[in-house]
Amino acid sequence: MKKLTVIILGLLLGMPLLAEEVDKTLDAAPDGQVDISNISGSITVTGWNRDAVEVTGTLGRNVEELVFERDGDRVTIQVKVPRKGGRGIDADLDIRVPEKSSIDVSGVSADIKVKNVRGVQRLQTVSGEVETESFGNDVSAESVSGDVEIAGDASDTETNISSVSGDVALARGSGIVRASSVSGDVVIDEGTFTRAELDTVNGDVVFRSGLRKGGRFAAETVNGELDIEFVGDVSAKIDIETFNGSIRNCFGPDPERTSKYTPGLELSFTEGAGDGRVEMSTMNGDISLCKK
Amino acid sequence: MTDSDDDKLLQAARRLNTGIAPQRDLWPDIARAMQAPQRSWWTPLLAQAAAVVLLVGGSSAITYIAVKQPQVPDRQVAPALVFEQVSFGTGYELGDEFVAARNALIKELDVELERLAPTPRAEIQANIAMIQEAIYEINAALEQEPNNTLLQQQLLSAYREELTLLRRVGGLTRDIMMRNDI
Repeated sequence: MKKLTVIILGLLLGMPLLAEEVDKTLDAAPDGQVDISNISGSITVTGWNRDAVEVTGTLGRNVEELVFERDGDRVTIQVKVPRKGGRGIDADLDIRVPEKSSIDVSGVSADIKVKNVRGVQRLQTVSGEVETESFGNDVSAESVSGDVEIAGDASDTETNISSVSGDVALARGSGIVRASSVSGDVVIDEGTFTRAELDTVNGDVVFRSGLRKGGRFAAETVNGELDIEFVGDVSAKIDIETFNGSIRNCFGPDPERTSKYTPGLELSFTEGAGDGRVEMSTMNGDISLCKK
Repeated sequence: MTDSDDDKLLQAARRLNTGIAPQRDLWPDIARAMQAPQRSWWTPLLAQAAAVVLLVGGSSAITYIAVKQPQVPDRQVAPALVFEQVSFGTGYELGDEFVAARNALIKELDVELERLAPTPRAEIQANIAMIQEAIYEINAALEQEPNNTLLQQQLLSAYREELTLLRRVGGLTRDIMMRNDI
């Protein structure tokens, strides 16, 4: 009997230490701002056709509080945890927002996944992964050690995408893109751009997209490779230079040695009417320039 | 010569025409020249003298610069201190302010890294080391080719990359931590 009492008491005392389910809803503006922060766990944000924000999911046993409040057009969702951090502070949040909302999402050890949100997006995490879609409004997505992936819908937008050790990828982007990684790869696929600025330190850059008339393209790496394939016609002045890599050019002209004493190569030529600008450079990496 | 010869000569002389009219009237041109402001005689001389001074001075200056420039030795680029300008030259060093700002960011980063889990912390440190290795490598190449503009650009980009990383990591953790009152 005594044992049973101890067990029951232990269970009763232990209940607050178990994960807590959450299910809350607030009315919201159809195109308002939603700010979300969660230190650890996961954040999934989905746009829907209701003028309301809904939060469901689980809060770790040491989460102090879930702040969920509205101030005018702004809704704030914060997972508050003890100042000292520690275990049991994970929160897995599944959040639904009006699809025209703009969102600002941040985490530390948290993955961020966004679907069908059509406003401006600012997404940042330290060690998690970021995955989202863009629909004609600006998107800024960054992670330190995770991959970042954006799927566009081919409407013009400004996209900033970066990671430190993770790969970054943008598919079906359009307009302006700035993408960078230190040791990860940068992959830009199926897009068409007026401006593209891509750089890495050790990662490779792969670009298989179109460059519009008068567009500007710049790709730079120290030790990575540049694999550039323009889709469609290109009209640009093209400058390529490498200190210690090779240059493969499908457009025609061959590169020349920058000096008879060093292995550097350079290549400058004009393709089409030359109204755009293409610049590429590496220190040790190879460069391949082709068209499809 | 007799007196009669003299008389004959004098008589012949008297028969000569005493006034010869010019073929055209020269007076209007003479009057115009007299009325026009007189051109100073020394103007062309002064212009010539000025031209000589300019020529001599200019060529001397060019010679001075040309002779002086090679006397400035090509500065060897230390691994830790390099260019902050991208275009030309061998003498650009990182300014004191840049170095101070970079050091401050590195110090700040150390504090921020302490707040991260071991795995992301190790990844960040590895990537910072990677950038610094790239900087060192570019510097080593620049020591061989101090005027290589590609290397200068690469170095500038590497430094920019490093600063961006330092700021981003510091900013990310600080912003999120503050937001959550940790």
